[in-house]
Amino acid sequence: MASLITCPHCGTRPKEEFSIRGAAAPKRPSPTAKDEAWHRYVYVRDNPKGRYEEYWHHEAGCRRFLVVERDNLTHEVFGVTDAAEFKRGGAAE
Amino acid sequence: MSIHLLHRHVLEDHISGFETDPNPNHLSVIRRPVIFSVLARAGHEAEVAEALWNAEDVAPRLCGPYEWLAVSRTVGAETVEAMLSEIANASVIDQSDGRVLMEISGPGVRKILAGCVAVDLHPEVFEEGRSATMLCCHAAANIARTGKDTFEIIVPRSLAGSVFEALMEMGREHALTRGFAD
Ligand SMILES: [Zn+2]
Repeated sequence: MASLITCPHCGTRPKEEFSIRGAAAPKRPSPTAKDEAWHRYVYVRDNPKGRYEEYWHHEAGCRRFLVVERDNLTHEVFGVTDAAEFKRGGAAE
Repeated sequence: MSIHLLHRHVLEDHISGFETDPNPNHLSVIRRPVIFSVLARAGHEAEVAEALWNAEDVAPRLCGPYEWLAVSRTVGAETVEAMLSEIANASVIDQSDGRVLMEISGPGVRKILAGCVAVDLHPEVFEEGRSATMLCCHAAANIARTGKDTFEIIVPRSLAGSVFEALMEMGREHALTRGFAD
């Protein structure tokens, strides 16, 4: 696992300071969405190999949610963004 | 004054028995610090930070975006509260009873802290006046460099005992002494 994460607010930190909160790519369904959509969002997740985006909570640091883009095969970290910024960037697409 | 008689520090049982003279490497537990949490409203981070850094008698500590601790060892909570509540677009709350403030100093301080935190505390990276929240002895602590070989550590009250014991353990080979300070 990637053992050093460079938090945009705190700098380079060990992974022990974070807790991983799951894939960042799935879009949360609207509150009125069908049960199937919610079931898919909550329980049916891909388990990709390679590069993907994941929520990391910097619990022992700035306590912000971050999105870490990393490769779960090579442990390489490509980028870390604040989740608020990630969401804003996603909305612009 | 009655409040003073009732006050019992959470680390009182950890610092019992005889007290030696402080060695060069020393850990002091500040008996009654004033610690306020300060939060800025969205979009007002810069102005609140500026006001906080200009405030007298308090030392600001960085926690994260929009969030700081304001620490004072010289003035009372009422004074600090009155001063901080004048800052526009900020929310302040007294955390003095929920946090424990310790100060570790001495020539071996970086070696001692190297066993406690995983962050580079070299003076060129973590210079004087810098502060950050980081894992210290398995607890989320705010650590600030207040001098060349002096650091202030703020931990949640409930974790103070275990952090204190771990710090003393790491300091044993450096003859770290401990005691209360006002
Ligand atoms: Zn952080």
